[in-house]
Amino acid sequence: MSDAPSRADVRETYETIGSHFSKTREYAWPEVESFVEDRCRGGVALDVGCGNGRHAELLADCADHVVGLDASRELLAAARDRLAACPATTLLQSDAATLPLADDCADLAVYVATIHHLPRRTDRRDSLDELARVLAPDGRALVSAWSTAHNRFDASADAERGFDTTVDWTLPGGRTVPRFYHIYAPTEFERDVAASDLALELLEISSGNCYAVVRPEGKRP
Amino acid sequence: MKEDLMDIICCPLDKHDLDLEVDERDDEEVLAGSLVCTECGESYPIEDGIPNLLPPDMREDAPA
Repeated sequence: MSDAPSRADVRETYETIGSHFSKTREYAWPEVESFVEDRCRGGVALDVGCGNGRHAELLADCADHVVGLDASRELLAAARDRLAACPATTLLQSDAATLPLADDCADLAVYVATIHHLPRRTDRRDSLDELARVLAPDGRALVSAWSTAHNRFDASADAERGFDTTVDWTLPGGRTVPRFYHIYAPTEFERDVAASDLALELLEISSGNCYAVVRPEGKRP
Repeated sequence: MKEDLMDIICCPLDKHDLDLEVDERDDEEVLAGSLVCTECGESYPIEDGIPNLLPPDMREDAPA
Protein backbone atom coordinates (compact mmCIF):
# COMPACT_ATOMS: atom_id res chain seq x y z
CA MET A 1 0.00 0.00 0.00
CA SER A 2 1.46 3.36 -0.98
CA ASP A 3 -0.51 5.67 1.29
CA ALA A 4 -1.80 4.45 4.60
CA PRO A 5 -5.37 5.57 5.27
CA SER A 6 -6.25 7.82 8.18
CA ARG A 7 -8.24 6.63 11.19
CA ALA A 8 -11.18 8.59 9.76
CA ASP A 9 -10.85 6.56 6.52
CA VAL A 10 -10.95 3.33 8.52
CA ARG A 11 -14.06 4.53 10.33
CA GLU A 12 -15.67 5.30 6.94
CA THR A 13 -14.94 1.75 5.79
CA TYR A 14 -16.93 0.34 8.67
CA GLU A 15 -19.77 2.81 8.15
CA THR A 16 -20.01 1.30 4.65
CA ILE A 17 -19.76 -2.39 5.49
CA GLY A 18 -20.85 -2.32 9.17
CA SER A 19 -24.33 -3.69 8.80
CA HIS A 20 -23.24 -6.68 6.70
CA PHE A 21 -19.97 -7.18 8.58
CA SER A 22 -21.86 -7.31 11.86
CA LYS A 23 -24.02 -10.21 10.70
CA THR A 24 -20.88 -12.29 10.17
CA ARG A 25 -19.57 -11.66 13.68
CA GLU A 26 -22.22 -13.46 15.67
CA TYR A 27 -20.24 -15.34 18.26
CA ALA A 28 -17.80 -14.36 20.98
CA TRP A 29 -14.29 -15.72 20.61
CA PRO A 30 -13.44 -18.53 23.05
CA GLU A 31 -10.18 -16.82 24.07
CA VAL A 32 -12.21 -13.76 25.12
CA GLU A 33 -14.80 -15.90 26.89
CA SER A 34 -12.20 -17.56 29.06
CA PHE A 35 -10.49 -14.23 29.92
CA VAL A 36 -13.84 -12.74 30.95
CA GLU A 37 -14.91 -15.81 32.91
CA ASP A 38 -11.64 -15.85 34.83
CA ARG A 39 -11.45 -12.17 35.66
CA CYS A 40 -14.75 -10.34 35.45
CA ARG A 41 -15.96 -9.59 39.01
CA GLY A 42 -18.33 -6.62 38.89
CA GLY A 43 -17.07 -3.06 38.44
CA VAL A 44 -16.71 -1.20 35.16
CA ALA A 45 -15.74 -3.18 32.07
CA LEU A 46 -14.77 -1.75 28.69
CA ASP A 47 -15.00 -3.21 25.20
CA VAL A 48 -12.73 -1.05 23.03
CA GLY A 49 -13.63 -1.68 19.40
CA CYS A 50 -16.87 -3.34 20.43
CA GLY A 51 -18.22 -3.82 16.90
CA ASN A 52 -21.67 -5.40 17.16
CA GLY A 53 -21.29 -5.92 20.91
CA ARG A 54 -20.64 -9.65 20.95
CA HIS A 55 -17.99 -9.30 23.68
CA ALA A 56 -19.76 -6.47 25.52
CA GLU A 57 -22.61 -8.97 25.89
CA LEU A 58 -20.27 -11.37 27.72
CA LEU A 59 -19.05 -8.58 29.98
CA ALA A 60 -22.63 -7.53 30.76
CA ASP A 61 -23.18 -10.87 32.51
CA CYS A 62 -20.54 -10.19 35.15
CA ALA A 63 -19.71 -6.45 35.30
CA ASP A 64 -21.79 -3.78 37.04
CA HIS A 65 -21.49 -1.47 34.05
CA VAL A 66 -20.19 -2.09 30.53
CA VAL A 67 -19.00 0.63 28.16
CA GLY A 68 -18.72 -0.37 24.51
CA LEU A 69 -16.64 1.93 22.30
CA ASP A 70 -16.34 1.92 18.53
CA ALA A 71 -15.45 4.42 15.82
CA SER A 72 -18.28 3.27 13.55
CA ARG A 73 -21.84 4.39 14.16
CA GLU A 74 -23.14 1.58 11.93
CA LEU A 75 -21.51 -0.98 14.19
CA LEU A 76 -22.75 0.81 17.31
CA ALA A 77 -26.29 0.66 15.92
CA ALA A 78 -25.89 -3.11 15.59
CA ALA A 79 -24.48 -3.26 19.13
CA ARG A 80 -27.44 -1.30 20.49
CA ASP A 81 -29.85 -3.85 19.01
CA ARG A 82 -27.84 -6.75 20.35
CA LEU A 83 -27.47 -5.27 23.83
CA ALA A 84 -31.05 -4.05 24.19
CA ALA A 85 -31.63 -6.59 26.97
CA CYS A 86 -28.49 -5.56 28.88
CA PRO A 87 -29.51 -2.44 30.82
CA ALA A 88 -26.16 -1.58 32.41
CA THR A 89 -24.50 -1.05 29.06
CA THR A 90 -23.49 2.22 27.41
CA LEU A 91 -22.18 2.81 23.91
CA LEU A 92 -19.80 5.58 22.88
CA GLN A 93 -18.61 6.50 19.41
CA SER A 94 -14.92 7.02 19.95
CA ASP A 95 -11.38 6.49 18.76
CA ALA A 96 -9.15 3.86 20.39
CA ALA A 97 -6.13 6.18 20.26
CA THR A 98 -7.91 9.04 22.08
CA LEU A 99 -10.25 7.41 24.62
CA PRO A 100 -12.93 9.72 26.11
CA LEU A 101 -12.65 8.05 29.52
CA ALA A 102 -11.29 9.17 32.87
CA ASP A 103 -8.02 7.83 34.29
CA ASP A 104 -8.29 4.61 36.30
CA CYS A 105 -12.02 4.14 35.57
CA ALA A 106 -12.01 0.54 34.33
CA ASP A 107 -11.61 -2.69 36.27
CA LEU A 108 -11.48 -4.83 33.17
CA ALA A 109 -11.15 -4.23 29.43
CA VAL A 110 -11.08 -6.17 26.21
CA TYR A 111 -9.42 -4.59 23.18
CA VAL A 112 -9.95 -7.36 20.69
CA ALA A 113 -9.29 -7.43 16.95
CA THR A 114 -9.14 -3.64 16.81
CA ILE A 115 -5.56 -2.39 17.17
CA HIS A 116 -4.70 -3.87 13.75
CA HIS A 117 -7.12 -1.38 12.14
CA LEU A 118 -5.09 1.64 13.29
CA PRO A 119 -2.98 2.70 10.30
CA ARG A 120 0.08 4.19 11.95
CA ARG A 121 2.37 2.66 14.52
CA THR A 122 2.13 5.82 16.62
CA ASP A 123 -1.66 5.42 16.70
CA ARG A 124 -1.33 1.80 17.80
CA ARG A 125 1.17 2.71 20.51
CA ASP A 126 -1.02 5.63 21.65
CA SER A 127 -3.98 3.25 21.94
CA LEU A 128 -2.00 0.97 24.28
CA ASP A 129 -0.99 3.95 26.43
CA GLU A 130 -4.60 5.09 26.50
CA LEU A 131 -5.70 1.64 27.65
CA ALA A 132 -3.13 1.78 30.46
CA ARG A 133 -4.34 5.24 31.46
CA VAL A 134 -8.00 4.23 31.84
CA LEU A 135 -7.35 0.93 33.64
CA ALA A 136 -7.56 0.95 37.43
CA PRO A 137 -4.26 0.12 39.15
CA ASP A 138 -5.36 -3.50 39.67
CA GLY A 139 -7.28 -3.64 36.38
CA ARG A 140 -6.53 -6.12 33.63
CA ALA A 141 -7.09 -6.11 29.88
CA LEU A 142 -6.98 -8.56 27.01
CA VAL A 143 -5.48 -7.16 23.79
CA SER A 144 -5.57 -9.13 20.56
CA ALA A 145 -4.27 -8.53 17.04
CA TRP A 146 -4.24 -10.47 13.80
CA SER A 147 -0.78 -11.88 13.30
CA THR A 148 1.66 -13.28 10.78
CA ALA A 149 1.06 -16.64 12.50
CA HIS A 150 -2.27 -16.85 10.67
CA ASN A 151 -2.11 -19.39 7.87
CA ARG A 152 -3.64 -17.02 5.31
CA PHE A 153 -0.40 -15.03 5.26
CA ASP A 154 2.82 -16.13 3.62
CA ALA A 155 4.92 -14.16 6.07
CA SER A 156 6.93 -16.07 8.62
CA ALA A 157 5.52 -16.05 12.13
CA ASP A 158 9.10 -15.52 13.29
CA ALA A 159 9.55 -12.27 11.35
CA GLU A 160 10.75 -9.28 13.33
CA ARG A 161 8.09 -7.02 11.88
CA GLY A 162 4.63 -7.43 10.49
CA PHE A 163 3.24 -5.65 7.46
CA ASP A 164 0.42 -3.40 6.26
CA THR A 165 -2.13 -4.86 3.89
CA THR A 166 -5.66 -4.52 2.64
CA VAL A 167 -8.22 -7.29 2.85
CA ASP A 168 -11.27 -6.85 0.66
CA TRP A 169 -14.74 -7.11 2.14
CA THR A 170 -17.37 -8.26 -0.36
CA LEU A 171 -20.82 -6.80 0.18
CA PRO A 172 -23.99 -8.57 -0.94
CA GLY A 173 -24.27 -7.62 -4.63
CA GLY A 174 -20.55 -8.05 -5.17
CA ARG A 175 -19.09 -4.64 -4.38
CA THR A 176 -15.76 -4.96 -2.61
CA VAL A 177 -14.50 -2.55 0.02
CA PRO A 178 -10.80 -2.58 0.93
CA ARG A 179 -10.03 -2.76 4.63
CA PHE A 180 -6.71 -1.70 6.12
CA TYR A 181 -4.88 -4.08 8.43
CA HIS A 182 -1.54 -4.00 10.13
CA ILE A 183 -0.65 -7.68 10.51
CA TYR A 184 1.54 -8.01 13.58
CA ALA A 185 4.55 -10.25 13.87
CA PRO A 186 4.25 -11.78 17.37
CA THR A 187 7.62 -10.38 18.45
CA GLU A 188 6.61 -6.93 17.18
CA PHE A 189 3.32 -7.15 19.10
CA GLU A 190 5.22 -8.05 22.24
CA ARG A 191 7.65 -5.15 21.65
CA ASP A 192 4.83 -2.63 21.16
CA VAL A 193 3.08 -3.76 24.33
CA ALA A 194 6.36 -3.73 26.28
CA ALA A 195 7.18 -0.21 25.07
CA SER A 196 3.77 1.11 26.13
CA ASP A 197 2.47 2.00 29.60
CA LEU A 198 1.16 -1.56 29.88
CA ALA A 199 2.94 -4.44 31.54
CA LEU A 200 2.65 -7.81 29.84
CA GLU A 201 1.45 -10.70 32.00
CA LEU A 202 0.81 -13.34 29.38
CA LEU A 203 1.31 -13.65 25.62
CA GLU A 204 -0.34 -16.35 23.55
CA ILE A 205 -0.84 -17.15 19.89
CA SER A 206 -4.21 -18.69 19.17
CA SER A 207 -6.07 -19.14 15.87
CA GLY A 208 -3.61 -16.82 14.12
CA ASN A 209 -4.05 -13.99 16.62
CA CYS A 210 -1.71 -12.63 19.28
CA TYR A 211 -3.34 -12.30 22.69
CA ALA A 212 -1.81 -10.30 25.52
CA VAL A 213 -3.08 -10.13 29.08
CA VAL A 214 -1.89 -6.79 30.40
CA ARG A 215 -2.06 -4.50 33.43
CA PRO A 216 -1.15 -0.83 33.75
CA GLU A 217 2.50 -0.38 34.55
CA GLY A 218 3.62 1.62 37.54
CA LYS A 219 0.21 2.29 39.10
CA ARG A 220 -0.01 1.38 42.77
CA PRO A 221 -3.19 -0.45 43.81
CA MET B 1 -26.60 7.63 27.23
CA LYS B 2 -27.17 7.14 30.93
CA GLU B 3 -26.35 10.15 33.07
CA ASP B 4 -24.33 8.17 35.61
CA LEU B 5 -21.82 7.72 32.82
CA MET B 6 -20.83 11.37 33.32
CA ASP B 7 -18.57 10.18 36.14
CA ILE B 8 -16.25 8.36 33.78
CA ILE B 9 -16.42 10.09 30.40
CA CYS B 10 -14.20 13.02 29.50
CA CYS B 11 -12.99 15.07 26.55
CA PRO B 12 -11.00 12.78 24.22
CA LEU B 13 -8.58 15.61 23.45
CA ASP B 14 -7.56 17.04 26.82
CA LYS B 15 -9.31 14.58 29.21
CA HIS B 16 -11.11 17.35 31.10
CA ASP B 17 -14.67 17.01 32.40
CA LEU B 18 -17.68 17.46 30.15
CA ASP B 19 -20.89 19.41 30.77
CA LEU B 20 -24.08 17.69 29.69
CA GLU B 21 -26.68 19.70 27.75
CA VAL B 22 -29.89 17.72 27.29
CA ASP B 23 -32.21 18.29 24.34
CA GLU B 24 -34.28 15.12 24.69
CA ARG B 25 -34.49 12.32 27.25
CA ASP B 26 -36.70 9.41 28.21
CA ASP B 27 -37.06 7.66 31.58
CA GLU B 28 -33.72 5.95 31.31
CA GLU B 29 -31.33 7.99 29.24
CA VAL B 30 -30.39 11.07 27.31
CA LEU B 31 -31.40 10.64 23.67
CA ALA B 32 -30.17 13.92 22.19
CA GLY B 33 -28.01 16.76 23.37
CA SER B 34 -24.37 17.57 23.64
CA LEU B 35 -21.33 17.17 25.83
CA VAL B 36 -19.17 20.27 26.10
CA CYS B 37 -15.61 20.23 27.38
CA THR B 38 -15.19 22.48 30.42
CA GLU B 39 -11.63 23.25 29.34
CA CYS B 40 -11.38 23.53 25.56
CA GLY B 41 -15.08 24.17 24.82
CA GLU B 42 -15.30 21.48 22.12
CA SER B 43 -18.86 20.23 21.76
CA TYR B 44 -19.64 16.55 21.20
CA PRO B 45 -23.13 15.67 19.95
CA ILE B 46 -25.36 12.97 21.44
CA GLU B 47 -27.46 11.45 18.66
CA ASP B 48 -29.91 8.56 18.99
CA GLY B 49 -28.70 8.13 22.56
CA ILE B 50 -25.07 7.54 21.54
CA PRO B 51 -22.51 10.28 22.25
CA ASN B 52 -20.11 11.00 19.42
CA LEU B 53 -16.84 11.45 21.29
CA LEU B 54 -14.60 11.02 18.26
CA PRO B 55 -11.91 13.67 18.03
CA PRO B 56 -13.32 16.35 15.67
CA ASP B 57 -10.96 15.43 12.80
CA MET B 58 -12.45 11.91 12.67
CA ARG B 59 -16.07 13.02 12.43
CA GLU B 60 -18.31 12.53 9.42
CA ASP B 61 -18.26 16.26 8.63
CA ALA B 62 -14.51 16.70 9.09
CA PRO B 63 -12.77 18.30 6.10
CA ALA B 64 -10.68 15.74 4.21
